[in-house]
Amino acid sequence: MLPQVSTLPNPQSPAADQGLDERGRVLTWLKSPLGVALLAAVLLGVLAAAGRADPQWSAGAALLVLALGVGAGWRLERRSSATAAFRLRPDDPPTPPPDEVQTYVLALELAPNPVLLVSAEDADDIAGRRVVFANAEARELLRIEREGALLVTALRDPDLLEAIDEALFGHIPQVLSYEARGAQERFWRVWTKPLPPNARHARLALVIMRDETDTRRNERMRADFLANASHELRTPLASLTGFIETLRGHARDDATARERFLLIMSRQAERMARLIDDLLSLSRIELNEHIRPGGHCDLSLAVADVLDALAPQIAVKHVRLELDLVSSGAAEIVGDRDQIVQVVQNLLDNAVKYAPDGGVVRVSVTRDLTLESATASRPDDVRQIAPGGGRMPLLTPARNGAARYALLRVDDGGPGMAREHLPRLTERFYRVEGQKSGERSGTGLGLAIVKHIVNRHMGGFYVESAPDHGAAFSIYLPMTSRSMQLAEAGPRVAASHEPRAA
Amino acid sequence: MSMNEHTLKFFGEELGQLKAEVARMGGVAEAQVADAIEAIARRDVALAEDVVGRDRRLDGMQHDIEKKAIRIISLRQPVAQDLRRTVSALKMSSILERTGDYAKNIAKRGLIIADAEPLSALTRSIERMGRLVSGRLKDALDAYTNAELDRAMDVWRNDEEVDEHYNSLFRELLTYMIGDPRMINACAHLLFVAKNLERIGDYATNIAEIVHYEVTGEEIVGDRPKWSGVSGPVEPEL
Repeated sequence: MLPQVSTLPNPQSPAADQGLDERGRVLTWLKSPLGVALLAAVLLGVLAAAGRADPQWSAGAALLVLALGVGAGWRLERRSSATAAFRLRPDDPPTPPPDEVQTYVLALELAPNPVLLVSAEDADDIAGRRVVFANAEARELLRIEREGALLVTALRDPDLLEAIDEALFGHIPQVLSYEARGAQERFWRVWTKPLPPNARHARLALVIMRDETDTRRNERMRADFLANASHELRTPLASLTGFIETLRGHARDDATARERFLLIMSRQAERMARLIDDLLSLSRIELNEHIRPGGHCDLSLAVADVLDALAPQIAVKHVRLELDLVSSGAAEIVGDRDQIVQVVQNLLDNAVKYAPDGGVVRVSVTRDLTLESATASRPDDVRQIAPGGGRMPLLTPARNGAARYALLRVDDGGPGMAREHLPRLTERFYRVEGQKSGERSGTGLGLAIVKHIVNRHMGGFYVESAPDHGAAFSIYLPMTSRSMQLAEAGPRVAASHEPRAA
Repeated sequence: MSMNEHTLKFFGEELGQLKAEVARMGGVAEAQVADAIEAIARRDVALAEDVVGRDRRLDGMQHDIEKKAIRIISLRQPVAQDLRRTVSALKMSSILERTGDYAKNIAKRGLIIADAEPLSALTRSIERMGRLVSGRLKDALDAYTNAELDRAMDVWRNDEEVDEHYNSLFRELLTYMIGDPRMINACAHLLFVAKNLERIGDYATNIAEIVHYEVTGEEIVGDRPKWSGVSGPVEPEL
């Protein structure tokens, strides 16, 4: 057997005819008893390897590999070695050797892109379109739980269903974009391709998806950043220009006025710098929002660290802290430590800012809560019955039965807000009337940042508030399994920080 | 006996088919709502016209589902869960058809607003509310197609979020209208868009109720979490 490698069709031979001829042979092979026997062998081989892969998917996967093998058989070059996967000799069936099929199945299973194989019967029968194979990515993304699931329970988008139909019934391949809505928007590029029929399925289509969320977000972030930056920087810039003109003009020789103006100008410049920092940080967070965080972080420790950093502000305002934290290690959550610290920082910073001079800020960390108990209202909370008060979810995570949450609640004891403001608190630059940004020196992005980080961490966020009864912000985040296994939380840290001397 | 088994199996397939058709119809309604919101947000006249034109498809689908469901009820006389599944499909198709009507109405208003001066701040608020409502519709339909009680109950419980967005938008629109009477026309249309979105959010809640009924055979008992006191726009009782 001489190695005869040829990737291009020989110009002297009728290439098209040869291709058709081979296709005919492939089909006869698949229908022949030998084909059935081989198919059984392949399935057995795959099922034997079921220790690694989910058995109910393996059968579908084997079929897909066979189908791909049939397709690839026409194209792949012939190799000389005995282990060649695809052969072009007429008497060799163009299929991967049975002992290698499990490798190919595993390769598809592990592919980073969602891959689906859809079968169909009649064009009219929408329930006849079934998912006969889906790899791990596809199963997770589309929440497909079993082989042979109805296609419409996995994908409902009319354009996408139409494209799959064209592959199934019109043998037309297509490329289209698909947007998965919901709390975590994802953008996909989807390829739909017809596949040759096999022994079990008369009509087959291949669906391959590629995540383009990054690209789309990048585009949108850039546009949003420019719009926000140019709009929000205009006001402080105008005031700076005004002061410069005054300093050049009639205040030129007035030393007291000059000092005062320079002080205001430096504050404005600081605010502009903070604004740019926050905008950049928000852009970065949004870019990674669909990527699940690794790592872990202890919520109680994060609170303690942030409180240390905030000590000067706390002291200046004579704010008293009432802490009720579970011991370290008991409320460990899955997450990016830097981002969690940023969340805690923004919440505590706001609480200190809005607390009255000499007021009390209450901070608590609780653990091992179900979704229900994490979002439950406290019956003794006066804000539930106060006029114009209540509780407003700002972000609710998708249900995950196994998850237990750790909850951080920060209650500022400040002026509180009327309910009409609550749903809009996480909007960028949203201002609650009567609370001037100048005296509070916020950028209007703090809570937006909190929301995006918590969303990335599959957590939730809500506010309880009523005018004159303060505002309490709560975030809850999934705990690590290590921390969940701790049966009892250690002694709670209940303390009352007295302000240090300013 | 074997005849009987055959009939049973075939009946199960018929019910599966009905559910698949409702799921597909749900996908179309979802896309109509999302496109209508996008047409408003981007002032996209062509997209708005598409939405208006595609509404017929939903009407046709509802008609088909109704016919099939009635056929099943009259020929198979289903009982227990089979009956609930059939009735749920009937209810779903009518809810989805009306959802589509609201999407069409939003798109039509989008055509009018596109002629007026852009009101970016307001359309951004509408877009935010629209995303929220789209997400709820998606969750409700996911719960329906997979008969997931937990997911349905989550949708049902978090109804207040949409209502609060509506109340907040209502106030925002009033402020604009008082501030500049030239904006009253466009703002009035946006007000109806917000109201339509709030209705679509209510339908998502209704879908959650249907899922609960289909799976458990019981109505949801208890009150949805609501705000204490009234400070939103007062609505006349029907």
